[in-house]
Amino acid sequence: MIVETKVFTCIQCGKCTGSCPESGKTPFNIRMLMRKRQFQTKIEEGLPWYCSSCGACTIRCPRDVKPSEVIIEIRSSLVENGEIPLALQKALENTFVQKNPWGRARTKRGDWSGKLANTVPHVRETQSKRLLFTCCIQAYDPRCMVIPVNVAHILMKCGVEFGILGEEEACCGNEIRRIGEMGLFEELEEENKTTFKEYGVQEIIALSPHCMNVLKKEYGDMGIKISHYTEILAPLMRDGALSMGGAFNKKVIYHDPCFLGKQNGIFDEPRDILSAIQGIELMEFSRSRENSLCCEGGGGRMFFEVETAYQRNAVVRAQEAFDKGAQVIATSCPFCLMTLEEQAVERGIMVKDISEILMEVVEQ
Amino acid sequence: MNILVFTKRVPATQEEELRITSEGKRVDLSKIPFKVNDWDNYSVEEAVRIIEKSGGAVTAVSIGDTESDEVLRRAIAMGAKDGFLLERGEILHDPSTRATLMYNFIKKENIPFDAIFTGVQSEDDQFAATGGILAAKLRLPFVSMVIGIDAVEKDHMVVRRELEGGLQERITVTLPCVISIQTGINEPRYVSIMGVRKASKVERKVFNAAQYEENVSSKIEVIQWVYPQKKAGATLLPADIEMACKELLGILKEKGVY
Repeated sequence: MIVETKVFTCIQCGKCTGSCPESGKTPFNIRMLMRKRQFQTKIEEGLPWYCSSCGACTIRCPRDVKPSEVIIEIRSSLVENGEIPLALQKALENTFVQKNPWGRARTKRGDWSGKLANTVPHVRETQSKRLLFTCCIQAYDPRCMVIPVNVAHILMKCGVEFGILGEEEACCGNEIRRIGEMGLFEELEEENKTTFKEYGVQEIIALSPHCMNVLKKEYGDMGIKISHYTEILAPLMRDGALSMGGAFNKKVIYHDPCFLGKQNGIFDEPRDILSAIQGIELMEFSRSRENSLCCEGGGGRMFFEVETAYQRNAVVRAQEAFDKGAQVIATSCPFCLMTLEEQAVERGIMVKDISEILMEVVEQ
Repeated sequence: MNILVFTKRVPATQEEELRITSEGKRVDLSKIPFKVNDWDNYSVEEAVRIIEKSGGAVTAVSIGDTESDEVLRRAIAMGAKDGFLLERGEILHDPSTRATLMYNFIKKENIPFDAIFTGVQSEDDQFAATGGILAAKLRLPFVSMVIGIDAVEKDHMVVRRELEGGLQERITVTLPCVISIQTGINEPRYVSIMGVRKASKVERKVFNAAQYEENVSSKIEVIQWVYPQKKAGATLLPADIEMACKELLGILKEKGVY
């Protein structure tokens, strides 16, 4: 997939820097990088890796420069020259061999489904050809593995037929493309598309906003309907397909993931689900919806630490939740969950995926 | 400086629960992805760094099936000039057989070299013997477990070896020689998929391994694959956190840790 960038139309207005969650507190300055790109001057080693691919700069740019895509171009040149941080190198090599950045065995990608009481069929065995796309972190990370289990359980309760690919699913490549490894991204895209075609997949429910984003916007038109799981569950709850037997009596503040919210405009469905749960007092961050503050887990940042020490956005987020008296930060992205949790727990606040809250209130 | 580097395509078994099949005759690798042997990755990198500094050429050599071309393309993408595949369908487990095959190939094809680099061992069989046997057959000096190459001169190299007890040994080895490279000697460069695709345009020479199997006979034979015996010894603590802590403290005190 080639995105046309327009770095020479940049007028240095600074809207990108003004919206960037990294500029101003780290050595990274997106406007300066656009300038250097225009003049083809040297970019300091390490700088391009600060970007967390939140996309705010591209959304706000009045000249359609697409600064976040320019960053991918810069990273791509670095990748071709082998000039990348070691941790990212490992993530890429792992993805090449095992089709996931953590290097866990591909043969175990579907193991999470063993935690369900009922067997989840392979997508080829379904009538609907509706695929639940798991995502690497949720297939392997013990903290996140609960999310596919929860969503599968809830879909089954609602009578929604679906299947999985298990070990035939490969990394979606959203982060791989943003790290700049275009060749590997193309291979992953090709493999997944071939698999979807082989089994006649008609619809995909993505558990991670990152997977949803790339499948929907960067794989080209596959003729497949692609949704995030909150888009499926919100109308089901509105129609009463999910009977809830309990209440969640807590103050819950919702954190919009960048790839779900500002990059794909899905703001209401997660809130609709939370609002439909009895007992929840739903709160909002001062920066929410289009202005949501990035958790800094995207763009490859899940796999390595940048060199400069600075106040992380997770600290800002957790502190605001604490100051507002929230008891739970709810989100709908595994990367946000992982990056926010440590800081929130230190302040006595729980971080939960929406599916985790649902599992506490649905009738068992 | 001409350096021959042996590189092997191995199954990535680290994360797998391997399954023995055919009544212990085989290990099922049908669903296991393959990769370059980690030690060989470091060897190729070290060889490429030497020629980038001092000039010369690196030739990567692999024994294996057609799929082993993958590790040759990778070596070329890293900076090797040529890639030679000694094509053979069946896996050779015996390091003596592998070394004899390499020896016959080098002699018969009159392959020029100043040094041969192998990885210390391969991730699959882990004999750590091929380099040594090859050196003996070639009647060349052999240095094992090399963790640093400090100097490369026309007729010798100064290398460091890793010894037990945290010691290192710095030695001078005359050229030509055979060296087995330890992991950690360098940080192998990242090879992008685009880089590997470009390397695919460089022709790799394929040799039928059967031509070089004179005096190649296995000195060892795999009789059976077996699972390690399961040992007891884990102590399960009670689920109740207070009880668990109390019991854990008791164990720590009993063992003299606390």
